[in-house]
Amino acid sequence: MSRSQASALAGLGRRGLAVVGAVGLVAVLVVLGVAFPRSIAGDLVQIMFAKGTLASALRLSVPIALAALGGIFAEKSGVINIGLEGLLIISAFAAIYAMDLSNNLWIAFGGGVLASTLLAGLFAVVCIEFRADQIIAGLAVWLIALGLAPFASQVVYNAPNSDSVRTPPTLPDLAGGIPVVGDVQAALGDLPFLGALFSASVTVYLMFLMVLASWYVLNRTQFGRWIRASGENPKALDTAGVNVSRVRYAAVLLSGVLSGMGGASLSLSLGQFTGNGPTMVNGKGFIAIVAYLFGNYNPIGAFLSTMLFAGLDALQIALQLRDVGVPNQLVRITPFVMVIVVLALVGRTRLPSAAGEHYESGED
Amino acid sequence: MSARDRARRALDRLVEASATERALISLASLVLAIAVGTVLILVAGRMTTCEQAAFVLTHPRPFGLPQVFAMGFCYDPVAVFDRLFLGALGDPLRAGWDPLNSQFAVTLRETTVLVFTGLSVALAFRAGIFNIGTQGQLVVGALATAMAVLWAAPLVSGVLGTLLLVPLGILVGALFGGFYGAIPGALKAYADANEVITTIMLNFVATGVVLYLVSGILKDPESAANQTVPLPDYAQFPPVLFGEQFGFSLLALAFGLVAIVAVYFLLEQTTFGYDLRTSGHQPAAAAYGGVDAERTIVASMTLSGALGGIGGAIYVLMILGNFQTGVPAYGFDGITVAILAGNNPLGVGFAAFLFGVLKSGTTAVQFATDVPPQLVGVLRGLIILFVAMPEFFRLIGRYLQPPERNRAVATDGGHGSADGREGSP
Repeated sequence: MSRSQASALAGLGRRGLAVVGAVGLVAVLVVLGVAFPRSIAGDLVQIMFAKGTLASALRLSVPIALAALGGIFAEKSGVINIGLEGLLIISAFAAIYAMDLSNNLWIAFGGGVLASTLLAGLFAVVCIEFRADQIIAGLAVWLIALGLAPFASQVVYNAPNSDSVRTPPTLPDLAGGIPVVGDVQAALGDLPFLGALFSASVTVYLMFLMVLASWYVLNRTQFGRWIRASGENPKALDTAGVNVSRVRYAAVLLSGVLSGMGGASLSLSLGQFTGNGPTMVNGKGFIAIVAYLFGNYNPIGAFLSTMLFAGLDALQIALQLRDVGVPNQLVRITPFVMVIVVLALVGRTRLPSAAGEHYESGED
Repeated sequence: MSARDRARRALDRLVEASATERALISLASLVLAIAVGTVLILVAGRMTTCEQAAFVLTHPRPFGLPQVFAMGFCYDPVAVFDRLFLGALGDPLRAGWDPLNSQFAVTLRETTVLVFTGLSVALAFRAGIFNIGTQGQLVVGALATAMAVLWAAPLVSGVLGTLLLVPLGILVGALFGGFYGAIPGALKAYADANEVITTIMLNFVATGVVLYLVSGILKDPESAANQTVPLPDYAQFPPVLFGEQFGFSLLALAFGLVAIVAVYFLLEQTTFGYDLRTSGHQPAAAAYGGVDAERTIVASMTLSGALGGIGGAIYVLMILGNFQTGVPAYGFDGITVAILAGNNPLGVGFAAFLFGVLKSGTTAVQFATDVPPQLVGVLRGLIILFVAMPEFFRLIGRYLQPPERNRAVATDGGHGSADGREGSP
């Protein structure tokens, strides 16, 4: 017991070190940027505090954060869901297809969530009922979606990329017509940096809502306690008369629902599904896994580390538009390198004790 | 229990099954994946539009009874699987079949690369490491091979050139692939970074860096595509029996078979192989026996990466004749090959051939039908999924077997290593 506590402390120490390091790096950059506004550091600081950068960081974090929340539920319950990427891919396509058929945003979101939840359900059955290895089954989910979504797109649209559809409204779109609310929104949206928070797409607010809801469910409800117990001490939960398998099914399905929202937000906010190569999801599901590991399985922590990755991504996109002397193909890989660095710094995270293990009730 | 122990125990469950049972499960997975694929083709055939149905589902009409039910589909699953399997071999059932036909050459050439990626994944798996990064290691190895051979080609020529340049290319591919595999190995061994994530991230990094190099300083200035200048003919694998235009060399395939035997020998007969397997299988016992866990992880990943890098070298020296961006997903297929083979090097040969058939058959399918070629990607995922759930097939087996035999199976088949090879020291 004391050893595991010690290692948890050591993990926290390294994580704290990583956070301090990141903050320190940003601080040095800001000082340099302010002191030498014409240098690269100056450029970077200017980009970092541009409204557009925050806006695109928020937009980019939606699929990652939602998938990370899903991953937290699954892993906390004892099922490591490495197939988040696949869930994002399948829901990204399904949402566009549903939107194309119905031209209704609610149905489009529902379609994405449904597809992702079905695939998560398959994963759950395979892992819980048939005791498949969770990592391999998760890889299979990813590879199935990686084939299935472009396949479906080819069938329906005759190309790996779909047709374009209508995109979801932004807050100004919604608030614009309403007398007082519209004015308040416009005033807040005009704020220099933080204005981006008040003029984003509805999907960004969905993300905020889900981060808070996930935190509440995990930490303040009976269901959240069951999920945590199912991952830490399934036997105790079983003894208390709760069906461990059922809790795990619920958690994995929930990871499907949340990832489905993420995938649907991703494709709908761009109005198209692109299925070439690694598809438009392009590793976001795997970044989500690192985000919740870095966030120590806390929904709010996961959101903050998502903002770190997405912020970096937004920064590199902005850098691509300006000519800073670094080639775009190299700038583009910075988020991936960052993930590796973070993972190396954080090191072993304290997984829920029973994660990755099949639990067999002693009753039968 | 640490995460690594748990991952290893999970892997053990795959290794645990006896060889026969594993082969049966692989076969059953394949059949099941084809069955699901058939349904998928039919469903997709209803979703798309076409002028005339390629396949009509109806009931038999004995005595001239009227037709009451008929459903047309735009895609014909029979034609798809006919092309996929028979097409890939160049129609062996047709009279006058020539085993040296072009489609069969493509099948064997894909098989050759897949042997190496399959071995790469399988070797890491046996050490208890999920190397998803074979793709990146292959890409890095391929570009390094192309650059090294291009650099050395003007120095030699003729048969001597082939004798020197091809081994040089393979060596460089292995070195760079090995180095690129050693990075996630070291990160896992010394910083506890989960290798599944780091290898996937390194795949993205490899693609980005290679795109930068090949669209910039290493680009063939005369070409619009992102590719290097072509290698001279004498710097590539010479074709044997098969025509030069197919991009296949029996020598490369023979080299692949040698690699299979070599990896098998390494794993089963050497001390290093024993250490590798025990640290994958029983890390506690390995540590007790004095195995340096960290070094074994780095060494396994380096070897695994080197095999992936050789795959890249073969891809350049035999198939492409230069380096281009947009490398096919050999690394991901390697995962399926390894899992299908139960991570046994000898099984990798068969599984690689099966996937060679699937990859080559895809072009035959594309030629003969309108079914999207991404179908094979779906089959790949389904096969992995089914192989991962042996319990499902055991359940079906138990259900199908008469009750008396059922008991016999339950007593001796449930647990324990049936093949005895993995016994503890």
